[in-house]
Amino acid sequence: MAESPRLTPVEYIDRFFDELRSEVRTNPKLAARLVKALGGNVVFEDETKADIANPYQLAASGKLGFLAVFGKLKLPELKKVLKDNNLATRIDMNGKNADQLVDMLYDRAAAKVSERKSSIF
Amino acid sequence: MAAIIAAVANLKGGVGKSTTTVMLADGLAHFYGMNILVIDLDPQANSSQMLLTERGVQDASDQGKGVHHVLQHFMAGKPPSAAPFIMPNAVSLEELRLAEEHDKRTGWISSLPSHPQLRLRELNLEEEWYGKAGTPTTLSDAIAKFLHEAFMPLMPLYDVILLDCPPHLSPLARAGLSIADMFVTPTIADSVSTWGTKQFSDWVGKYIAPDLPNRNFVLITRFRDTKYARQVASDLREIYLKDRWFGPVIPESVHVLNAMDRAAPDSYNTFRGKYAGVTGDVRRLAERFTDFLSQRTGSTWQKVRD
Repeated sequence: MAESPRLTPVEYIDRFFDELRSEVRTNPKLAARLVKALGGNVVFEDETKADIANPYQLAASGKLGFLAVFGKLKLPELKKVLKDNNLATRIDMNGKNADQLVDMLYDRAAAKVSERKSSIF
Repeated sequence: MAAIIAAVANLKGGVGKSTTTVMLADGLAHFYGMNILVIDLDPQANSSQMLLTERGVQDASDQGKGVHHVLQHFMAGKPPSAAPFIMPNAVSLEELRLAEEHDKRTGWISSLPSHPQLRLRELNLEEEWYGKAGTPTTLSDAIAKFLHEAFMPLMPLYDVILLDCPPHLSPLARAGLSIADMFVTPTIADSVSTWGTKQFSDWVGKYIAPDLPNRNFVLITRFRDTKYARQVASDLREIYLKDRWFGPVIPESVHVLNAMDRAAPDSYNTFRGKYAGVTGDVRRLAERFTDFLSQRTGSTWQKVRD
């Protein structure tokens, strides 16, 4: 794709960041990755929590923070998080309400973290 | 009928020994209703972890269950015994759990799990044994005799005992190989694995089973469908391991990785849910292995589920 030869270097950079900004607004997963790469804390919006939030990471940092992110998710979103992170099968989730699934999500994520995290740093 | 002991072994690491062990256990229990005992002789405890989860492995060890406790028994000079060290339930399949709940047990999986402590136990035992002028061979012979006698009371209870062997020849691993009726050799379709498999095959043929071709079931695992891999797989069948029984090729797949990662000790899944995109491969593995068992033993098994 040819660009106008009359653009200045600053204008090229502006265009690049405009594109990046636009992508970050519509692609929460990329946004979270970029913010993490820059050392920032990701703030989870309600509609993107299920896609972005890492239950293992949040379980490792404490139950309050974990519940702040996952505690208000709806049943289908909780099921998606559990399934996507290999923390429960469809059989395990059958007949459970949202509160029970949040408990399952925390208990199993925290258990995996304690089983897999090295005690020596 | 007495159980058939099959050692899943290859000196090459990373070829899918533990994964093959678990797929065979699930496939034989699910499709043929066989009762399976999985004995994990590898201190890495991978098949134990796949069956029981990490927490399950630790809980089992804390309850006095596991191969390292059997070895302790041997070291203490106690009478041969294995039953008290077995976890009687290592089932993760919903169909098997429901059958048990309805008192219609058709297929069950028990585990004599491993634990990372096993290697330390082995080292202590080796030091003690060699300090009394014993040799690696006399030690593995003594362990084999102990295991043989310890498993005798278990033989009528199981159809197949699977030994998941480590990628090295510890005295315990040698003992396991020497009591096996047959050998399952998972391998990968690449040059280093082919060479490693040849080395292992030669060693077993020379020291354990001179009739190895009749007792060997080979499985190509983690298969990536490339021209190179197809050529190596073909060479394995037609040249290097000619006359062996071959199972279906198991693809390198995220479904396999997911299937081996049990969510929790009380997590269950249907067979199809657990194996997803490799369901057919695991079914074919069970079918082909059962054909191999029939050819070896003259017995036949009927499918109890499709």
